[in-house]
Amino acid sequence: MAATAPVAPAESELDRSGAEDEPRSAEPEEDAGNGQTGPTAGAQQQQHRLAKLPLSRIKALMKADPDVSLASQESVFIIAKATELFVEMIAKDALVYAQQGKRKTLQRKDLDNAIEAIDEFAFLEGTLD
Amino acid sequence: MAERPEDLNLPNAVITRIIKEALPDGVNVSKEARRAISQAASVFVLYATSCANNFAMKAKRKTLNAGDVMSAMEEMEFERFLQPLREALEAYKKGQKGKKEASEQKRKDKEKKSSSTDENDKSRDEEEDEHMDDEQ
Repeated sequence: MAATAPVAPAESELDRSGAEDEPRSAEPEEDAGNGQTGPTAGAQQQQHRLAKLPLSRIKALMKADPDVSLASQESVFIIAKATELFVEMIAKDALVYAQQGKRKTLQRKDLDNAIEAIDEFAFLEGTLD
Repeated sequence: MAERPEDLNLPNAVITRIIKEALPDGVNVSKEARRAISQAASVFVLYATSCANNFAMKAKRKTLNAGDVMSAMEEMEFERFLQPLREALEAYKKGQKGKKEASEQKRKDKEKKSSSTDENDKSRDEEEDEHMDDEQ
């Protein structure tokens, strides 16, 4: 599957601030990908330079769908990446509401406002506790 | 194992870090907001997967691939993600290729070593397992 789209230099709509390229210190918490030894674990550790979310957890979520039989490694990676972009996006969009309320702390209601106002977040309505 | 898909949460530390890096310095995030974002992220994965899987099924494939995910992003109106995702995928593929070559090289090196002590690798199993220890 060749990527026919030319790689755009520098600018992208989302300000990712180059974070994904920075080397990360070892993940805390229960992430199963890091901290193992052996050749296969090395592969997972390297993936974390490109994706912050653990692919194992993403894959587990994907497999929760009964209609999904198999998912390529690339697809798991892309969904992980997309999820990171999604988190960035929703945080920034919610911030607008906090700022309108002259607050420096993002609160749950800012999330709710963003979800209500923004079309792309419509799928979230009624899904959060 | 989780009982429901919604119970499979993404690691809090990572979610928090992604949020913090997206927002300007000095902005805080309440615990409830963080929890909601984490939940939303899980829902996003489920929704994106379901969408992507529809494309795979339409194409009569059993394996969900990266192209299906890209199509799903479009369908979900997240076109803005497509460019960064394509770039990330290229980098990922290069990384995978490098790793594969590295591990193949490792394997070749190992075989070279063992063939200097053992005449024939394959017959090792039939002979004795002791030789395996010598390898290390």
